[in-house]
Amino acid sequence: MSNGGAGPSRLYRLRALPTIGAMPEPDSHSAPRKIIHIDMDAFFASVEQRDNPELRGRPVAVGGSAARGVVAAASYEARAFGVRSAMPSVTAKRRCPELLFVKPRFEVYRAVSQQIHAIFARYTPLIEPLSLDEAYLDVSADLRGVGSATRIAQLIRAQIREETGLTASAGVSYNKFIAKIASDQNKPDGICVVRPEQGAAFVAGLPARRFYGVGPKTAEKMAGLGIHTGADLRECELAFLVEHFGKSAQYLYHASRGVDHRAVKPDRTRKSIGAERTYGEDLQAEDALRAALDGIVDILWARVEKQASRGRTVTLKLKYNDFRQITRARSLDAPVTSREQLAAIGQQLLGDQLPVERGVRLLGLAVSSLDSGDEVATPAAAIAEPAPRQGRFEF
Amino acid sequence: MKFTVSRDALLKPLNLVAGVVERRQTLPILSNVLMVIEGDRLSLTGTDLEVELIGRVALAGGAGEDGEVTVPARKLVDICKSLPEGSDIQFSAEDGKVSVRSGRSRFTLSTLPAREFPSLEDSIGTHQLAVKQGQLKRLIDRTAFAMAQQDVRYYLNGMLWELKDQQLRVVATDGHRLALCTLQEKVDTDGDAQVILPRKGVLELARLLLDEEATIGIVIGSNHMRATTEDFTFTSKLVDGKFPDYQRVLPRASDKTVLGSRLELRQAFTRTAILSNEKYRGVRLKLSENTLDIVANNPEQEEAEETVPVEYVGGGLEIGFNVSYLLDVLSVLSGDKIKMSLSDPNSSALLEESEEGDSVYVVMPMRL
Repeated sequence: MSNGGAGPSRLYRLRALPTIGAMPEPDSHSAPRKIIHIDMDAFFASVEQRDNPELRGRPVAVGGSAARGVVAAASYEARAFGVRSAMPSVTAKRRCPELLFVKPRFEVYRAVSQQIHAIFARYTPLIEPLSLDEAYLDVSADLRGVGSATRIAQLIRAQIREETGLTASAGVSYNKFIAKIASDQNKPDGICVVRPEQGAAFVAGLPARRFYGVGPKTAEKMAGLGIHTGADLRECELAFLVEHFGKSAQYLYHASRGVDHRAVKPDRTRKSIGAERTYGEDLQAEDALRAALDGIVDILWARVEKQASRGRTVTLKLKYNDFRQITRARSLDAPVTSREQLAAIGQQLLGDQLPVERGVRLLGLAVSSLDSGDEVATPAAAIAEPAPRQGRFEF
Repeated sequence: MKFTVSRDALLKPLNLVAGVVERRQTLPILSNVLMVIEGDRLSLTGTDLEVELIGRVALAGGAGEDGEVTVPARKLVDICKSLPEGSDIQFSAEDGKVSVRSGRSRFTLSTLPAREFPSLEDSIGTHQLAVKQGQLKRLIDRTAFAMAQQDVRYYLNGMLWELKDQQLRVVATDGHRLALCTLQEKVDTDGDAQVILPRKGVLELARLLLDEEATIGIVIGSNHMRATTEDFTFTSKLVDGKFPDYQRVLPRASDKTVLGSRLELRQAFTRTAILSNEKYRGVRLKLSENTLDIVANNPEQEEAEETVPVEYVGGGLEIGFNVSYLLDVLSVLSGDKIKMSLSDPNSSALLEESEEGDSVYVVMPMRL
């Protein structure tokens, strides 16, 4: 169908302008949606254990064991010792002296991620990946005629196991918020279904910390206000939430009632592509800094190529050994189209900071202001009138 | 299993059967085609669990050795296609392999056990009819373009087949435009029915309708539709859903009727489309007494304008459309003139052949 680039899901969200007669409300607005959240179990670590039998059954951390390394992922054996992702490797080693460190192999994880994406695509085009190992699926339409969302989730889990040798957990519910929490409920290799009529009770029992956007700070603040669970949150008036939590208030108000209307967005586009590295030893000499940056350019350019998108803004990030961090950016009129160009801009931005007064522990580079190819980047497009709207039948 | 078949007799049915096989599969065996030899008949089956196609080939050289086996569909097609015209191909199966020989070429293909090849469960037929292949082809050709593709309203990703008062009518819509075609001759069947044939089923079925005058038998069940010709048996699951009430979408209050040359309008739309917005494809139609102006602009501020003489008496109207939707309709209509019925810029347009046609098209406007 040649509606010109706008995917079906997008058209579906557009409200019709012209109407034909008095049509009944489309039932898609009243029928509950069916959302699945799929989350691979200890993804990076499981891939490593799958590919290296010697790691099986042993505590494994993916990440650098070096002085400044960070645990990117921990196997369930390692988690038993209290090893968590994003934990400094040193701390992890202290908690679990047996811990085996494995270098991450992102190409492999990405390949597996594509495999599981292909499995999802057998059941629905509405896939919103959150990361390599996690995605929301909207299976309301049941395109394969499987019969139930729970059954679809089970089929997907079985196929992931069969085709990748890895396990995944699934949450099945009527919105994203509950589906995501549900997938965590029976981890690993589990499934949890929360039906619409169970939603409110399910949410009421949750610790406030589990709500999206509630981090340690907010949780502390909530505890101070006597809010510990979803039920407590539900007691709060909207105005009270606005006063204390500002922008998040609307979301918290609805979420605590088990309501979340966010759509599964298959066309979620990236805003930037970046690469960065923390160095084992501080860098200060110009040669060393420039060489290090060149290595980062390689990684970043590979990612840019893979995304098949082009950006106009290049940002350099420097973190000094006193943890002070600066970013410097340059925007061009046209997108960066070659590795050489990216390297030249990166080196220029770095050159502006030289000589550095203290050691640099981290270097990063990113491109943003991305276009995905189909947006025409002409000045005329920028001043174009609002998009035309195609009328729809209201069946 | 052992048999010999001429390349040219095998290639056409094999191609059609392999067309059903999807590139990406949930089960490895679904990328294979099932070959069964019974006496002097070879049957080939391809399936994706939604659509199944069986093709039959008579073995001219006499009976082979009965048996059944499955081999990779794509590879078999590629091999047969690349063998020289007029050649004979010998197949023999042993030790879990199939050997394919022709002239000085020999290929050994892997197999999967035929007993594991899934067959579409059949439901009991409730309606039967027989039509000419040419008639069915016309119904599909005139409407298939309006089917939705991967719409979340899954029941739009297919074609409605409606049997009512011994009349067969098909309808397709993606929510923006609708196409409807009715078979002119009455069909001999009892009872009314409404079923939705999935998009893939429609497209595969259309490929089989090669002999206009030959008959195709159709059996509709609660979950399946089966179509049988001399050489093929086609089975498709039906979409389990309710097709929207298309009658409510047909405009009834149009007060502006335009008659124009189909060819002239089609050419004018084709030319203006060049400078329409590539993404939205919008064109503006300005209707005045006996004249239709068509204007397109793109984001680069370029402009196309066409003036087409038409037969029209009445007030002026300015209305926008996706030009692709109009061109789709003008491409399937025939005859010298077409009739377009309009009312206001927010209401749909009805397009049809000016004579008593068998097809009706409804297109929703675009607010530009």
